[in-house]
Amino acid sequence: MAEKTTSLRHRDALASRLVQAGFLAAVVLLWYLAATRWGVNRLLLPNPVAVFDDLVDILRTGEYIDDLKVTLGELAAAFSISVTGGVTLGYLISRSPYAIRVFEPLFAAIYSIPIILFLPLFVLFFGLGPASKIALGAAISFFPIAINTIAGFGTVDRLLVTAARSMGASDYRLFRHVLLPAALPVILAGLRMGFTIALLSIIGSETLASLAGLGHRIVHLAEAMEMARMFAYIVFVIAIAAILNAVVSALEARGRWN
Amino acid sequence: MGDGMATAAAAIRVRGVSHRFGEEGEQRFVRALADTSLDVARGELMCLIGPSGCGKSTLLNVIGGLMAPSSGGVEVLGKAVAGPLPHDIAFVFQESALFPWNTVIENIELGMTFQGVAKAARAERAGRALEAVGLGEFAQHYPAQLSGGMRQRAALARALSLETPILLMDEPFGALDEQTRMILGEDLSVLLARSGRTIVFVTHSLGEAVFLADRVAVFSARPGTVKQVIAVDEPHPRKPEFVTSTKFTALRNQLYGLLHDEIRKAVLGLGEAARGEAGPA
Amino acid sequence: MELSAAAARRSLAASPAVRYLARRPWAARLIVIALLVGLWEVAARWLVDPLFLSPPSRVVAALGTVFATRGVPAALQLTLFELTVAFAIAVAAGLVLGLAIGLQPFARRSFFPVVLLLYGMPQVTILPLFILFFGIGAASKIAFGVTHGVFPVIVTVVAGVQNLKPILLTSAPSMGASRWQIFRHVIFPHMVPSFFAGMRLGMSGVLLGVLLAELYVSIAGIGYFTTLFTQNFDPTRLLGLIGVLAAMAIALNAIVRRTEAHFARWRAG
Repeated sequence: MAEKTTSLRHRDALASRLVQAGFLAAVVLLWYLAATRWGVNRLLLPNPVAVFDDLVDILRTGEYIDDLKVTLGELAAAFSISVTGGVTLGYLISRSPYAIRVFEPLFAAIYSIPIILFLPLFVLFFGLGPASKIALGAAISFFPIAINTIAGFGTVDRLLVTAARSMGASDYRLFRHVLLPAALPVILAGLRMGFTIALLSIIGSETLASLAGLGHRIVHLAEAMEMARMFAYIVFVIAIAAILNAVVSALEARGRWN
Repeated sequence: MGDGMATAAAAIRVRGVSHRFGEEGEQRFVRALADTSLDVARGELMCLIGPSGCGKSTLLNVIGGLMAPSSGGVEVLGKAVAGPLPHDIAFVFQESALFPWNTVIENIELGMTFQGVAKAARAERAGRALEAVGLGEFAQHYPAQLSGGMRQRAALARALSLETPILLMDEPFGALDEQTRMILGEDLSVLLARSGRTIVFVTHSLGEAVFLADRVAVFSARPGTVKQVIAVDEPHPRKPEFVTSTKFTALRNQLYGLLHDEIRKAVLGLGEAARGEAGPA
Repeated sequence: MELSAAAARRSLAASPAVRYLARRPWAARLIVIALLVGLWEVAARWLVDPLFLSPPSRVVAALGTVFATRGVPAALQLTLFELTVAFAIAVAAGLVLGLAIGLQPFARRSFFPVVLLLYGMPQVTILPLFILFFGIGAASKIAFGVTHGVFPVIVTVVAGVQNLKPILLTSAPSMGASRWQIFRHVIFPHMVPSFFAGMRLGMSGVLLGVLLAELYVSIAGIGYFTTLFTQNFDPTRLLGLIGVLAAMAIALNAIVRRTEAHFARWRAG
């Protein structure tokens, strides 16, 4: 396929955005018609206007703050743990090609099953509080981070290492000026994936077994059949997730040199 | 015709170096070098030429302390080589070993950082090295923005900025087109005349060897050893007209004669080359 | 670089055990797993309150009681059923939609951005909604599995079709091929590798969706038993049940991967 010029690519991206916006507008319109004109049960599909009102109310009164704090707190804790563990372990493993051959398939295999399956174990061990969510979030996001760190450090061009050594680079200087910058784009991609999956895992585990947090709030409202408010929170959580992911993607892009 | 030995002022002394990759009986076993001895005089440009896989690059790595030979040893400026000698030896590799995330000038300054040059001196030396190779205007460019020839110039500038008495160059122009090679060869000759460094230059090209070298060491097919050393008696800097002179042609023919059989041997897979597996030569 | 470490390494490498392991990373992997299981055994037996963690020896021995628990085998069978049905639907729908979107430039420009938008959405937020809409039975689990599994299939099929070199598409009609023939002999074989990669991702998605939904519904199915064992502080049976589910997930993934490898061989041969 021919390479597109930058302006053509911008135009494509803009067109995609417009289509997506149009799609959302159409969905909202259909939703409105379904709820008001076509007689869909209010217990299943609330009026979008009511949802909007509830959303405004939630934002205005700051009702969301406690749950948001819980969720973001769990996310921050889980991500810190998985970044520290994943990058450190990934670097150590990457130093030996044999270790890479032993551990990398092991990590990939574990990561291929839905680790959220183990949530009940974490709840049994840590209880229904934030600790179980943090532990699960850290456990799940560890893998893409470690796998990418191994790949990043493991595929540094050997010639660059040889050249640096020939110029007298010490171990520390080699790491700081050659290994780290070379591996950084891949590691950052891993961090972005780890962040996204940590967020999803935490919201998921709050949905399954929690006493607080945004996931739990949605479940609570569902059980109380407060449909409009639940929809409002769903919109809110999707927006928060989108914003966080956009920020993380932007940060990743800044770290790329290739 | 001379043999490998020069007089007492040898900058590099290679004595009985042999090298094997892998163990006998393993699939990857390769005898890259067999009992190679060679002297390189101070201020001389010695070319190593030979068929593929004859161990020229291996020997260069051994001289530079990047590899320990299976047997034998190397002395550089009177010291036995047991590891990299960043203050005595600088490398230029065939593929640009520039760090792609740094600009050209950052690359050069980083080389000096590795070597241990004081921070204050780096910028000025880097600037001078870039001017010497004609890349003064490209200091802030990234390697990806440069052509292959310019990248190798930058790599050369980095090596020069380290101000080492010895330069080891492993087919530095190998990946470039003929015309760029000619220009860079001429520029290298000029640099050599000015700086008086000792250079060991590995090449596949007969013309390049005759144009650049003071002496050319011809290698046999794998396992490589020095078959013969030929002297090129022509002062540096060498003029472009040298290439069309009868002396040049005679020397080139002589090299061709010496190499032809070895190349045939290497290509047909006679002798050790039959194993077919690459040692990183 | 082979400096002085070479000598040391050579003498270590002489030991036969090390040489055996060096050529067989899978053996080293098994040792690592064995060590971890051993660690688990020791921790569960002597370091942690048995209310919270059970040693693997006990878990394996008690597997029988897990299956003997009334309702567990049925729940497991139902889950397996949901997984297979959801996977079949996700793959079929993904293939059809992917081809429809990928082959028509107009469709691609208008629908693909929508697909990407939905693919990137955190679907777990609407899990309670799915259960409200579809009930607590198999339907909601299958539906949630399909929505997780269909998008990677669509995306990879579209990518596989897009990579087709335009010259192939123009040369075929010039040789008189009908549209169906072009599809069957040019487009389809080209897209197959991407399709299988998509199936792998689709299986992961289906596993996630179905198991999430199952765990959420705590009054029936697997979710009932995980909740039961958790609330009764029964780590032995909980670990046993989760172990079986994990084995199921691993087995399903392995089947998909084997199929992919089998077809790759058939293509190359």
